[in-house]
This record gives sequence, structure tokens and C-alpha cells, in this order.
Amino acid sequence: MQSFKKTLTGEEPKPAAKPAEVKTEKKAEPRKEEKPVANKITVGHVHMSGCTGCLVSLADNYLGLVKILDDYADLVYGLTLADVRHIPEMDVALVEGSVCIQDHESVEDIKTTRKKAKVVVAVGGCASYGNITRFARGGQVNQPQHESFLPIGNLIDVDVVIPGCAPTPQLIRNVCVMAYLLLRGTEEQKALAGKYLKPLMALAKRGTTACFCDLMNDVINQGLCMGCGSCAAACPVRAITHEFGKPQGQRDLCIKCGACYGQCPRSFYNFEVMDEFEGILELIDGAMK
Amino acid sequence: MGTELGKYKVCVSARSTDKEIMGKAQDGGIVTQLFAFALEKGIIDGAIVAGPGARPWQPRPFIATTREELLSARGTKYNISPQVSWLKEATRSFGMDKVGIVGTPCQMQAVRKAQLYPVGMRDVPDKVALAVGIFCMENFPYKSIQMIVEDHAGTKLQATKKMEIGKGKFTVITERGASVALPLKVTHKYEQPGCHVCLDYVANLGDISTGSVGSPDGWSTVFIRTKKGEETWNKAIAAGCFETKPIEQVKPGLELVTKLANEKISKNKKTVEERATFGVNKALRNPYL
Amino acid sequence: MSKVVEISPTTRHEGHSKLVLKINDQGIVERGDWLSITPVRGVEKLAIGKTMDQVPKIASRVCGICPIAHTLAGIEAMEASIKCEIPQDAKHLRVILHAANRLHSIALHNILILPDFYLPGTDTKINPFAKVEPVRSVAARIIRLREIGQTIGEIAGGEAVHPSNPRVGGMYRNVTERARMKMFDLAKEGRQLATDQMEFMIAILRNFQKRDYCVVGNAKVPMPKELGYHNQGYMAVDPMYGTNSLAEYPTWQPQRWAESRPWDWYMGEMEIDFEDPSYPIGGTTKKGGKANPQMEACTGVPTYDGQPVEVGPRARLVKFKGYDEKGTVGQHIARQLEYVDCIYAILKSLDALNTSGKVLADPIPQGDGSMGWAANEAPRGTDVHLARVKDGRVQWYEMLVPTTWNFPTCSRALTGAPWQLAELVVRGYDPCVSCATHMIVVDDDNRIVAQKLIQ
Ligand SMILES: Cc1cc2nc3c(=O)[nH]c(=O)nc-3n(C[C@H](O)[C@H](O)[C@H](O)COP(=O)(O)OP(=O)(O)OC[C@H]3O[C@@H](n4cnc5c(N)ncnc54)[C@H](O)[C@@H]3O)c2cc1C
Ligand code: SF4
Ligand code: SF4
Ligand code: SF4
Ligand code: SF4
Repeated sequence: MQSFKKTLTGEEPKPAAKPAEVKTEKKAEPRKEEKPVANKITVGHVHMSGCTGCLVSLADNYLGLVKILDDYADLVYGLTLADVRHIPEMDVALVEGSVCIQDHESVEDIKTTRKKAKVVVAVGGCASYGNITRFARGGQVNQPQHESFLPIGNLIDVDVVIPGCAPTPQLIRNVCVMAYLLLRGTEEQKALAGKYLKPLMALAKRGTTACFCDLMNDVINQGLCMGCGSCAAACPVRAITHEFGKPQGQRDLCIKCGACYGQCPRSFYNFEVMDEFEGILELIDGAMK
Repeated sequence: MGTELGKYKVCVSARSTDKEIMGKAQDGGIVTQLFAFALEKGIIDGAIVAGPGARPWQPRPFIATTREELLSARGTKYNISPQVSWLKEATRSFGMDKVGIVGTPCQMQAVRKAQLYPVGMRDVPDKVALAVGIFCMENFPYKSIQMIVEDHAGTKLQATKKMEIGKGKFTVITERGASVALPLKVTHKYEQPGCHVCLDYVANLGDISTGSVGSPDGWSTVFIRTKKGEETWNKAIAAGCFETKPIEQVKPGLELVTKLANEKISKNKKTVEERATFGVNKALRNPYL
Repeated sequence: MSKVVEISPTTRHEGHSKLVLKINDQGIVERGDWLSITPVRGVEKLAIGKTMDQVPKIASRVCGICPIAHTLAGIEAMEASIKCEIPQDAKHLRVILHAANRLHSIALHNILILPDFYLPGTDTKINPFAKVEPVRSVAARIIRLREIGQTIGEIAGGEAVHPSNPRVGGMYRNVTERARMKMFDLAKEGRQLATDQMEFMIAILRNFQKRDYCVVGNAKVPMPKELGYHNQGYMAVDPMYGTNSLAEYPTWQPQRWAESRPWDWYMGEMEIDFEDPSYPIGGTTKKGGKANPQMEACTGVPTYDGQPVEVGPRARLVKFKGYDEKGTVGQHIARQLEYVDCIYAILKSLDALNTSGKVLADPIPQGDGSMGWAANEAPRGTDVHLARVKDGRVQWYEMLVPTTWNFPTCSRALTGAPWQLAELVVRGYDPCVSCATHMIVVDDDNRIVAQKLIQ
């Protein structure tokens, strides 16, 4: 952990005061000097049928975004932010929006993205789960035939999903930093990034639907809900309340963004990462300084 | 196992020196005292606590921003209080930058997941200023508590002054001083099912966690776990908020805590394993994968 | 002999759009069509049958750059239909949210347009992400202004992008005194930053205006004095917030609005017979292909008093403050002038806000199917939503979003510009294309709408 911080910040890490009583720490930190991280990864923002709110969220890392662009990632594509018209080769594609399968160009774009990107990240509810475009049913001029919108995972393999509408700046940031470590880091950094990303990769494999019903199906019906309230806090349309401690979803309000399911500690929970929360939060903080 | 108590820097037995707080606290008044101190010193802007709800002994999570409000939430309510449901709102319409929260181990897990994987928790990760975990063997739905108290213990909920779980008993103490102790095997069937996959007893992820087990009556066992926790704790000690004893010098001490933690974790690990073969070639979901 | 060149997709604005330009031998645009090519998600149609509470939440997701305008126009159209008056403090919170969103949007737009302009006294175009001074400090100031806007919006509106606090009938929650003070502090910090940033942008723009040429790709393009001029009218309903059909004196009249299809407005099929591989970045569309704006446009053409109109900051300043500078630079300057307006709107509403006041109407009527509309001044122009609600369900829903108003007007403003500067003219409108997916059929609907509204 400390060597990550060192490589990321160029600072000598302060040794964390170790708890005397517990011996949960396994190994000594590798003291070998790491190469300073020089080569940035290349990142693109691919805009399908989304609202650009995901991109605004990325930008809402404020100076953090500047830091990312200075030190970790070159933005090689993104119609809103950069003057690049055609999808280039890139390490990480951040895809926003779902795909209208009646729009030839969109279908081509998403296929091209898969071919050109090493890692495809579905950013936000639309790309991950369809979100409001799940409700689309066409019939509106000037393109009444545009009626079927699919999450990108129905058309290509997706590596990582970031649910939510809008997805949060912090989770997008974390994924960017971890993708950087995964592709450019030392062995140790790669291992950490792999662990961190694992549940978001598993979520990508899990499928392309998530809404309040998934909390019912995969958490409550499975006897796993313990009434923490994370789902209610996460919901961006306030569709969830708690009645006698358990979530009540107003399904007529739900927009199918998947935030509740993703935030629920009983949807996924990885001890290896969570138990290290303090160090990892410090690491990310350090990386952003 | 060796990890059942989580990481911590120090463990002590303690109680609040504030008579008013101790008046109605569950054990050593650790939670209320910590928040009252942190509030006074500006370490937190307010704290999410479980106050009195609509029905007798039903908790209602709310954001306390005064000492009076903190005091109103003293004492354990053995049924679900979705604490995390306020975590985001605290940073919104309450305008808080430093949020305190108390909760069970699963709720601490939820808080840390919100910080590490903020799927629907925009701008929350850096605003958790003090998370106080309370030990927890199991929790109950509201109706369970009503049945335990009114049917099994034969007392009125309204007339109940305190409930306690300890020494293998569920004890109901009435306003008029009577006390009924039920063996825990009576209450088992009423437990919240989600608790049966829970692998944390002593709130491993709190900044500070506390419970009655391990310390004498009226005292609490306290683990100081993180830098934030340590800072606040040291300041509170310096300010004379707590009376403390080394945990090694109290009875029954850490040994009992470790034993109970092990029992809980082994039992629930078994449940998690059994879920894998619950049906015929059909598993129930494992949230920890 | 005129030739046809296509720039597709256009960049540094929100959404997918393209330019089809007929140019003369000097490369001057004779006729330009700027059109949206964003797939139509059909929000107006999918809204039918849904609850009046859900539809504005969906409408918000039409655009992440002005989600506040869509949420508020959507909600207020529902409220207008069901005839629900909301408490004054809910109104204050909405104005705060609205102004905060405009503040962030202007700042975001600064970042998007700076690469078109030069550092005064140099031939260097500005890369807002460059590490050099003074650019770095300006970028930091812009970013802080965005952060202030987004944070105030998040407190008043629940979320910074798609607001969760507004609802039909008012707001879910009022804010606490602490929250009000936090917003005050942020707005006060923003006041100075906004003034400085406005002055900086105006200096950049005035400098640009004085140039004889600018460089696009390899070309040294002469700067026409009348870049971006057009003779269409302006439409705005309020200097800051908006109006609706419940207002005593509504400032928007539905009878004056009509709508035609792209078929009647845009150019038909043409062969692309001019290309410039050196146009940044990656060149224009290759020769030999076909362009067909009539068929490809994803939006309709709304008119007001029979003509396309300009909406946005300049329209607001023209209508309410006697502003009169034309052209692309005039439009940009108008937007900078709104920086400080946003701050004052926030401060004023914060002063008026009673944090213990109620913010939700009680009871909330469920609607009898009558028509209601609301117009909200989004950062980039008037956003009108129209709805009919019966028994809590939406029967009919229309969105006349800002960029849809501006598409045909901007297309007119392209005439006379060197084609290489067409994108620059487009960016003057701060387009936000995802939302621009509205189009309704003229005949039947229009007549019904007009009748219902006039009665
Ligand atoms: C369901 C449950 C099971 C528990 N099981 C054990 C156990 O097995 N062993 C053990 O040693 N301790 C257990 N505890 C903890 C113990 O009962 C005390 O809560 C703890 O010691 C704190 O006491 P105190 O005097 O420091 O706190 P006080 O100063 O009395 O404050 C108690 C705080 O707990 C909060 N609270 C009360 N009820 C709930 C609730 N349902 N959910 C979340 N927060 C709540 C209140 O908001 C208050 O802030 C359990 C607590 C709960 C809620
Ligand atoms: S997920 Fe939400 S913010 Fe992102 S594109 Fe979809 S609607 Fe917009
Ligand atoms: S209930 Fe809320 S958080 Fe969950 S999917 Fe629906 S809208 Fe998203
Ligand atoms: S987040 Fe999950 S565990 Fe927590 S209350 Fe919601 S469904 Fe239950
Ligand atoms: S036993 Fe575990 S899951 Fe149940 S309330 Fe306690 S901490 Fe939560």
C-alpha cells in the first residue's frame, strides 16, 4: 500500500501506526524502488444515447479531473470535450448511454469501441442497464422507428460497469485510477486494482438489468437484506423508503438506474478490499493530490 | 481465526463521565458521549442516530445536531433502524460536511462501501467524519420485538424501560423495576434472516466500535480502529469525557468478546456455505463473492 | 459554382450533430444546415400513461447539461395542468437550484469554447487543460465556479446532475439553516470569481473580434465582421427563471408557436463534392458521399410568430435588458454577463428563503386532463414543456427544448461565414443536442393544442 502511495504522489509515505495487538498485516512492504509512473493511459469518452450527465459527473471531479489528465490519462476521444471526430485506439473506453439498434451509426460505433479499446467501461445507468431508455417504445417523429435501446452489454462484452444515474464522480474517478494501476502499475498495484475492480467486473458479467426489482429478487427474496438503508440513500429519484426497516420501492418512480442494487452491501461485498478501506481511501486521496 | 476482532489500535473498557448521558445510556454511554463531544468540538456537524419512532421501541433514524437530540436517542432498540438511509441527505439539505453515524457492523460495512464504491453516494465518501460501530449478534424486525416482549416476556412494550441481550439471555426490564429474562433460544426464530449471513460481530469497520460484552455492567468495551477514531478518542480522553481501564484488567475481558465473535462468525459462515447447496442443484446467492 | 461540404460530427458541445454547408468558390457559406443526428429516445411518447411524478424525472434525463430546466419545466407543466400552487419557499429553492445550474453551465461552456480563441496579444489558441499560466489559473477559477454551482445545486436540489428534491407539488424537503448558510458562503465566494471570469472572457472575446484572420487547420481564414449575424427574432420569457400557464401574465403564448417538419425546412439530398483533409481533426467527410438533412435531422423546426427564433442568454438580455450586440461574439458576451446575474439570483432567494417554511402543497390535485405548460429559461434558452394530466397520469406531453429552437436560427446565422468557422458559430449557441429530440406533427395536434390553450 505504501509503495502505491509513493509512486502516485512521489512522496515518502509516512509509516502508518500499526496496531500493536493485531497481526492481521501479512507481509512486509516491498522496499524496492519503483519506477516513477510516466506513461499515461489513453482514455476515451464514447457517447451513445445518453444525456451527457455521466460526462458532467466525470467533470465534477473538478481539479481531480485536471490531475487525472495531467498525470494518469490522456483523453484521446470525447466529442464534448475534445476535437476528435473518430474513435481511435485506446486503453479505456468510458461509454455513456445505451444503443439504439435502429440507428446504424450507433451500432457501428459501439462495435468499433469494443475493437479499439482494451477495457470497456459502461458508465452510468443507461450504458449499464438501459435506465430511462428501457421505457422507450418509439413512435416519435422525426425518427419514429427509433424504438429499441439496449444497454451496451447486450451488444458487446463489457469489462466494468458503473451503475447509477448520474454515476458518481468519485466512482468514475476510482475506476480511472484503478484502471491506470491495472495497466501501468507495479505487480502489487495491479493486484490491488484487480481486487478493487473485481466486483464491478462481476457486475458486468451479471447481466444488463438492475432496478428496484433486483433488490427484491437478489437481496430481499434471497434472505439477505438487513435493513441498512443504503438503497434508499442511493436512489436518485427517492423511490425507496423504509417501512418497518425494510425497503419499499415505488416502482412507478424507479428509472432503472441500478444505483440501489449496486450500493447495497448485500449485492456484492469483498472483504479483501473493504477491510483495507482506510488505506485505499488514503491511496486514492494521495493520487488526487 | 485471528481476524475476528478486526484491525484496531487500542482496546479499552470505558464509561462516560457525564452523569446526564449515563442516566439513560445502554452501557457506558460511549456512543452518545463521543458524538456530544465531537459535536461540541466541531469534529462533526451532526450525527445520524436511532431516536424514538412512531411506535414504542421502534427506532427512527434521524440527524441529531444538538446535544438534546443526541440524548433522546440513547439506549439500544433491538429492531431495524436504517441508519444509512440518511447518509446522503445529511450532505444535502442538511448542508453537512462532517457527518457522524452510529450503526451495527453491517451498517458500518454499508458506510465503507458507500465510501469505496460510491455507486449512488455522490460527494459522500469524504464527508464521513466519525463512524461509531456497535457490536451486534443479531437484530430483529419490529414485530418480533413486540412478540418477544409482549408474548414471551408478558410485559407491555410501552411499559418497558430497557432491553438487554447478554449472558445468554434477552432481558426485559419494566418501568416498575420488574425484569424478565428469556433464554436466547426462544428469540432465535424471530431474528432478522439477513443477520444469518453476517460475518462481523464487533463492527470491524467503525472508526471506533463499542459494545457491552467484555466489560462489567455500566461499562463498555471500546475498540479504537482508525486514525480518525484515534484522534477523536484521544481528544475526548484529554477532555475528561471518559473513565477508562485497560481491557486486560477487566472481567470477562477480550476473551469473551473473541469467543462470541468466533461463535457468530463460524455459525454464519456455515449458513453461507449451506446456501450453496440449498436447493436441488440450486444455490442461494452468496453476497461475498 | 457552389460545393457541398459536411462536418460530422461536430465537436466540443453536448450530443451528436452535424453541419452540411453549401459554399461558394471563396469558401463562404451560402446556405448552411446544422442538424441533430442524435437518436430519438422518444421521451414525449414514452411519457404517455406514466405518473406525473415519474415523467419529470425521466425528462431530466433527456439532458445532463440542463437537467434542472427539464426537471423544473416538466414538474411545472404537470403542476399547471393539475392547477397546483406550490408554497413560496419551494419556489425559492427552485430558483436557487436553477441559477446554480446556469452558473455551472456557463463555466462549463467557457472550457468548451476557449480552444477557439487566442490569448490576447499572441497567435496561440487556448488549451484550457494546458499546464501553463495564465491558463492554469483561469482553468482553476472556472472549475471552482462550476464546483460552486454544482454544490449549491446539490444542496438545494438533492443531486448535482439530475436533481432529486423537486417534485410535483413543491420539493421533498426544505433545507436547514446550516445548509442555507453554506450556500450563502459559496455564492459569496462565487461573486468575485464570477466577476473576474466574466471580465477575462470579455477581454478574450474582444481581442478575437479585432483579429483579421484565424487559423483553422492549415488555413488562414479571414474573420468576417458580421460573423454569426442573423435576422431572426428573439424569444425569452424571463431574465432568470420562467413562467407557466397559471401565471397572471404569462410571458409565452402557445398560440404563437407552430412547428414544421425538417422536410419543409432543411435541404434535400446532395452529393458531398468538397473535402478538406486538413480540417481539424481528421478532416471533413470524404467526397462522393451523400448528405440529406431533410431525412437525417432528428428534430423538428419550431417557430414563434411564423419564424425560427434565437433563444438563450442574448435573447434574455435583448428582451429584458436592452442588449443589442449581434453576431457570435455578441452572443458569447451576453452569456458572460449572466455569470453575475446567477449569483445575485441565488443570494436574493437565499435571503427570502424561510428554512422552516413548508415546501409541499397539500393536497396535491390529480388533474382532469386540462392542458398546462411551463417555460423555464435553461442556460441555453427557453425550455417549454406542455402536459395534460388526468388522475395523476400523463395523457400528453411535449417538450420544446432550447437547442431545437436554435437549430434553424443558427443555420441561418451560418450564411456569410467562412465554412471553417461554422463550428465556431454553432458553439456560440452552447448547443446541447441530446435533448433536442422534439418534433410534433403540425396539423391535428397543433390545432387541438391551440384550441385548448386559447379557451
Ligand atoms: C441490534 C443490536 C444488537 C446488539 N448486540 C450486541 C451484542 O451482542 N453485544 C454487545 O456487546 N453489544 C450489542 N449491541 C450494542 C449495545 O447494545 C449498545 O448499543 C452499545 O454498547 C452502545 O451503548 P452505549 O451506552 O455506548 O450507547 P448509548 O449512549 O446508549 O447510545 C446508543 C446508540 O445506539 C444507537 N442505536 C440504538 N438502537 C439502534 C439500532 N437498532 N440500530 C442502530 N443504532 C442504534 C442510538 O442511536 C444511540 O446513539 C447491540 C446493539 C444493537 C442495536
Ligand atoms: S445514466 Fe443518467 S446521467 Fe448517464 S446518460 Fe443515462 S440518464 Fe444521463
Ligand atoms: S429504485 Fe431508485 S436506485 Fe433503484 S434502480 Fe430504481 S431509480 Fe435506481
Ligand atoms: S441496501 Fe440492501 S441490505 Fe440495505 S436495506 Fe437496502 S436491500 Fe436491504
Ligand atoms: S447481525 Fe449483522 S446483519 Fe444483523 S443487524 Fe447485526 S450487524 Fe447487521
